[in-house]
Amino acid sequence: MSYENIEILFAEDSKDDALLTIRALTKSGFSNKLHHVIDGAEALDFIYCRGKYVDRNPNEFPKLILLDVKMPKVSGIEVLEKIKSDPLVKSVPVVMLTSSNEGPDIERCFALGANSYIVKPVDSDNFFKAVKEIGVYWMILSQPSH
Amino acid sequence: MADSKLTFQNGEKENRAADLIIANKEMAFQNEEKEKRAAELIIANKELAFQNEEKEKRAAELVIANKELAFQNKEKEKRALELIAANNELKKAQDDIRKLNDELEQKVIERTAQLESVNKDLESFSYSVSHDLRAPIRAINGYTKILKEDYEEILDEPGINVLQAIIDNSKKMGTLIDDLLAFSKLGRKQVTVSEIDMNDLVQSVIEELPKNVSDCAPVFHIAPLIPASGDRSLIKQVWINLLSNAIKYSRYKKEIRVEIGAFTKDQFVVYYVKDYGAGFDMQYYDKLFGVFQRLHSQEEFEGTGIGLAIVQKVVHRHQGMVWAESKLEEGTTFYFSLPQNNL
Repeated sequence: MSYENIEILFAEDSKDDALLTIRALTKSGFSNKLHHVIDGAEALDFIYCRGKYVDRNPNEFPKLILLDVKMPKVSGIEVLEKIKSDPLVKSVPVVMLTSSNEGPDIERCFALGANSYIVKPVDSDNFFKAVKEIGVYWMILSQPSH
Repeated sequence: MADSKLTFQNGEKENRAADLIIANKEMAFQNEEKEKRAAELIIANKELAFQNEEKEKRAAELVIANKELAFQNKEKEKRALELIAANNELKKAQDDIRKLNDELEQKVIERTAQLESVNKDLESFSYSVSHDLRAPIRAINGYTKILKEDYEEILDEPGINVLQAIIDNSKKMGTLIDDLLAFSKLGRKQVTVSEIDMNDLVQSVIEELPKNVSDCAPVFHIAPLIPASGDRSLIKQVWINLLSNAIKYSRYKKEIRVEIGAFTKDQFVVYYVKDYGAGFDMQYYDKLFGVFQRLHSQEEFEGTGIGLAIVQKVVHRHQGMVWAESKLEEGTTFYFSLPQNNL
């Protein structure tokens, strides 16, 4: 499998949320260059070309990383911490996704250098809007002037 | 011869007489001196006798004074013993107090630890409620939406209505969870008090209120508002809830009129929001501020029943009061008080 054209790395353990997010991105025309991983460990494997991503070109990084905060093995916050402390990857924008506006996560994510923090709305219309905004954000990032 | 003897004798006699005279004079002088001495001695004796008398008097006084001193000493000893006893008692009381204080402190530490742990439990409970309950509802809502979007042609109208009902209900449940969490968070939030310019705050709340609630735009009559001290973000929530309620419950009236004002009462500023909307029956007043309590049906006026509970909690956390007066179909006035000069 080739990962050459991957522009959005999307880490989400919930298959429901993954399906809904990918569907929303597809419907907005943003999904073709998206790669979905199921936890933080796989996200790190992808970024650092380890495990099943050993053949990926290590000089290519995604343009945008979407991280669910709560994931098994390695959480989104841990992935964020790792990315933002690595000079090679730290410039890649990271959007944190969470189910909850509770807890200490928000401050922690911003303190670690997250670029955005999105509480996934229950209502699918709002959810769609939020995901579409991510897509627009990615489009801005992909513009040649950037 | 005889004569000469006689003459000699006479001469002798004369010589003797002269000697005697001298001797006599001497004696007389000596006597005088003795008398003078005797007189002096008498005087000296008298002086001594007087002095003796004085000494005896002093001695008698000293005896009395000694007795007095002895008595006083005894009293002092008694007092000293009493003081020692009192001191011991005081020490014991102090020890007791110290012990009680230590115990109390220990209890406070234990209670605080308990409260902290309960608080932590509550926080993680809130977190998992928020996180874990919202996720499946989001999935229900999202999948139903997919059904509706992708399979609309296969379904008939009642089928689509069912899907819409699922979407609406799951959305409502999301709102309920959010409201409940917001309410539980209130009790734990730190209140940061500062002076609030209410005119400014109310104006900003009015500008931020959703505009499409009713066909006609609400008209606000705002009297000058006295400043109060409180937590700005919390008090803002109070105004948001009261003003959006005033508009919501005036929805079916020809015009939406909301009056806002303030007056001072004792050490408090009382603010009021008066509407001319649906009102409520005062016999259900007890339920007005209850969590998830509603006095109107969902069909008539939508809502989760958390708004006034939040208002009450915020105001109580500011040591203020909240109350209301209402008449069915005539309108409602909500009052809340805040400390005037807390700073």
